[in-house]
Amino acid sequence: MSRTRSYGRKNLIISILFAVLIFILSIKLDPYNLGQLAVALMLFIGVLSIVLLTGASGQISLGQGALMAVGGFAAALAILNLGLSIWVAIILAVIAALLAGLLLGIAAARLSGPYLAGTTLVIALAIPSLATRFESVFGGDVGLNINFGNPPAWLSSLMGSVGYEQWQLLATLPFAVLALLFTSNILNSRTGRSWRALRDNEIASSLNGIDISQTKIFVFVISSGFAGLAGVLYGLRGIVGPSVYPISLSLMLLTGAVLGGIRSILGALIGSILVVFLPDVIDSIMKHFSPSEQVANYLPAMISSLLLILTVVLNPGGIAHGLHRTRRHL
Amino acid sequence: MEIFLSAIFSGTSRGAIYALAALGLVLVWRGAGVVNFAQMGQAMFTTYIASTLIGHHYSYWLAFIVALISGGILGAFVDLSVMRPLSRKRSSNFLDSPAMRSTIPVIASLGILGILQSGAGIFWAAEERGFPTPVNSLGLVIGGKTMPFTAFDLFVIGTVFITLVITTYFFKGTGMGLAMRASALNPEVARLSGIKIGSMRTLSWTISGVASSLAGLLVTPSANLSPSTLDLILIIGFTAAVVGGLDSLLGSVIGGFALGLLISFVNVYDTPEDIFLAILVVLLAVLLIRPQGLLGSKEVRRV
Amino acid sequence: MALVAGVAVSSLAVTALPATAATDPGVTSSEIVLGMQLPQSGPASPGYNKVDDAARAYFDYVNSKGGIYGRKVRLEVRDDQYKAGLTVSSASSLINKDKVFAFIGSIGTQTHISVISDINRRGIPDLFVNSGYSGFYTNPKTYPTTFAGLGTYVVESKIVGKYIKDTYPTKKVGILYQTDDFGRNALQGFTTAGLSFEAKKTAVNFIAGTQGSIGLASQLTALKANGVEIVIIAAVASATAIAVATAAQLGYKPDKWVVTSVGADATTFQTILGSKGVTPAVSAGMLAGIISASHAPSPGDTTDEYVAAFKKINDDFNKGPDKRWDNNVLQGMNIAYMATEALFGTGSNLTRKGIISYIENNGSKMSSAALSPLGYSRTSHEAFTAFWIGAYDGATVLKPITGTRVLYTTDSGTGPVTVSNYMRPALPADAIAKGA
Repeated sequence: MSRTRSYGRKNLIISILFAVLIFILSIKLDPYNLGQLAVALMLFIGVLSIVLLTGASGQISLGQGALMAVGGFAAALAILNLGLSIWVAIILAVIAALLAGLLLGIAAARLSGPYLAGTTLVIALAIPSLATRFESVFGGDVGLNINFGNPPAWLSSLMGSVGYEQWQLLATLPFAVLALLFTSNILNSRTGRSWRALRDNEIASSLNGIDISQTKIFVFVISSGFAGLAGVLYGLRGIVGPSVYPISLSLMLLTGAVLGGIRSILGALIGSILVVFLPDVIDSIMKHFSPSEQVANYLPAMISSLLLILTVVLNPGGIAHGLHRTRRHL
Repeated sequence: MEIFLSAIFSGTSRGAIYALAALGLVLVWRGAGVVNFAQMGQAMFTTYIASTLIGHHYSYWLAFIVALISGGILGAFVDLSVMRPLSRKRSSNFLDSPAMRSTIPVIASLGILGILQSGAGIFWAAEERGFPTPVNSLGLVIGGKTMPFTAFDLFVIGTVFITLVITTYFFKGTGMGLAMRASALNPEVARLSGIKIGSMRTLSWTISGVASSLAGLLVTPSANLSPSTLDLILIIGFTAAVVGGLDSLLGSVIGGFALGLLISFVNVYDTPEDIFLAILVVLLAVLLIRPQGLLGSKEVRRV
Repeated sequence: MALVAGVAVSSLAVTALPATAATDPGVTSSEIVLGMQLPQSGPASPGYNKVDDAARAYFDYVNSKGGIYGRKVRLEVRDDQYKAGLTVSSASSLINKDKVFAFIGSIGTQTHISVISDINRRGIPDLFVNSGYSGFYTNPKTYPTTFAGLGTYVVESKIVGKYIKDTYPTKKVGILYQTDDFGRNALQGFTTAGLSFEAKKTAVNFIAGTQGSIGLASQLTALKANGVEIVIIAAVASATAIAVATAAQLGYKPDKWVVTSVGADATTFQTILGSKGVTPAVSAGMLAGIISASHAPSPGDTTDEYVAAFKKINDDFNKGPDKRWDNNVLQGMNIAYMATEALFGTGSNLTRKGIISYIENNGSKMSSAALSPLGYSRTSHEAFTAFWIGAYDGATVLKPITGTRVLYTTDSGTGPVTVSNYMRPALPADAIAKGA
């Protein structure tokens, strides 16, 4: 009991430090990198959904992008049709994603490994296609426009002028902090331990009285809520539509999770920063070599795929695991 | 009536293609215990090689053979460079649970897919190309009506069945085939019986590489060649393999034709916009009602 | 769709454009920086990935002639892979890192809609967008800085639709269309023109991108079985090639194929069939007789002074990986030509507000390679409002059907189709228009 409480305090402190750090960055960075950092935080929430699902409970999903789409569309419909504020819409989006996660989880709880991977891949393809199927509701290929709007007056008066990208980052920050706090607490709780027990040995954990399929569904639901939250924030950058949530978005989340460390919250942060900023870094390095157009266009994708394979083969724990190990050696 | 017949024929000719993709997936699953999401990426890559040869005025059949050989080499390379090192890492605490052991190779295969697709972008500028057929591709005439079914479709179906027969015989009737199955199903026991599991797995990857390459060569005449056009075929092929039973060669072929017909009928009698949903519904229905698929064996399905 | 356009900028309320002195970003005494977003890689890139190289070739030509009031034009390009999520980031990169003066020739409806509000809110000129989606242009109050670079899908299909209805009043007409904004807009235009279709019988559709793996046999069989004599295709070029090839397989020979300009790119058509082993002579034969419409001269028509001049500039200045002369290259060069004209016309004191006001006030007098008038005004930001109708000859050149070229014009609403007497201004001797 006291151990859990001390964890809780530690998690709270880390979350506050995280918030302060991002806030300082939000004043220091240039607008482009502010926007990129905002995307990284949105994806961080999405990657956390994979840390919970795959890292903690051992279920894989290649369809988190579809759940992001559920969140995005739910929010867009709430904003455009019901005239709700984006904050209420975000809450509704999370609820919609939780419900979608429940449906998916009921099916997914019976699957694992490649079956689950393939099924979620089909989901990633099928769900966004609903937008064109029911065009009058979801806006078809063109999608639905939503955005963060203008920063509230009190914020502008507090901080001087708040730029568009800066506002995206500041509006995303509280949700990222909440996601961080929630994830670190649940992973250190009894619940989190039961998930890991399930991942490591289904039979043993069922003998210990853990209801396997209920637990799996529960993880799926929580993870979907995270994905939905990430999805609505991602959509609030300007648009919700099928081309915003392609299969490649799901694979990008997975890549971020694996590169950073699929079992680590720190890893999720590192991974999301990596997938967002790596193409920029590669671009700025490549500029010195004036590569052909094809190389310039496809090299970032090739390098991130290569890193994914190298991580899986050489260091499956990802960068975070490497850091832990280094620290232990010191 | 013409529309109904044409739905059947169109479904059958597409089904043959899906069957080929499903067959390739089952081959690696049986031989190495991995569902290879990079499979159609490999097919795409080797078909670009063939297409480039043909573009340089080499004969179709030379390009065909070169593509099959490079498919085999690519398959073996994937195993030796990625999958074998992965399977050796069982001691790592990230691979210590069955859940993670079956998950990690999937992630690795997605990485391979990414490399092949971006590689095709770099080498071939992602140019969209067609691909020739070795035989005439005019529709057969039945009762005065031309059906969406050509001599080439017959060629594809013939190839699917020959591949099915050869691989079935190989797995059931030859020592090497049995050894391959054994090493995939129960590596420990296989190792104790003196089977070199590593070599057996590399062999499965090689054979599957050849089969994937064949699929690429036979699919692309009807589906233009570009780095990602075959992605959808992988997804349909996977669904077909699951419908048939992921470890059954015959099942995967039946699944392929079933999916072909299903898509064709949705296309004709419902609307093309429902195809993705229909695939999802079929996949979920099979997995929830009959998880081992039509012909899969229950005991080996380690879901 | 009205919903989308209406609420697009509601919460970002476009107030007056920001006050601009001569210190707008992207302009120095020696340079003007422009930005372009397009799919350079990925499934949507084939064909379109040539547009940026073509535009840059024209700007390089202008730079070689001394630039615009001494300023060299630099074109910064970002690949968004046709994914809206990446479009948002790459727009931010062009705005904040490259500090572009204006956007030019961005490609794609779904992608551009994700950034159009932000670009407009910042008052950045959004010139000559390569999308025929009318929602961007018909109400300049919503998107005050955005100008079209293509005729709208609705205008084109209304004009072609009327032609079909007048020329073949007794024939049964059917359509094959993509289920995206382009296909649906086209369907809407043909319907407005008075053609009627019956779903699944004479109007069949497919999801863009699946034409390869799933095929179009069922769709064409439906048209064939329902006795459709004139088939309209509203699809990208690669799907058009598959549709025509599939029909040949089925022994389906409609009296006429009608292909919208988006899908009627002869080079793409021949490249795809060529790599299937169809010789250029044979694929040219398949193309022959196909009816299409265009706002521009056919790229194959080298007697056209603009085509000849642009082709020469392309040969001399294009450094892209694929500089083969076709519709995409012509289009890329033409928007660069128009941008150059507008930049010259705005004057040496170049501002964002200035160029927008120049195009609104003088746009209808601007020249371009297109044979169509430009529709730019204070009340409309549509570009090419007229199309001529032609048929491909045996050498892949689109030629006027009756020998003489007739231009038809209409609006993106329900207005009538009328004949236009517009005469394109002659090409300046150095192929650079200096504006009014």
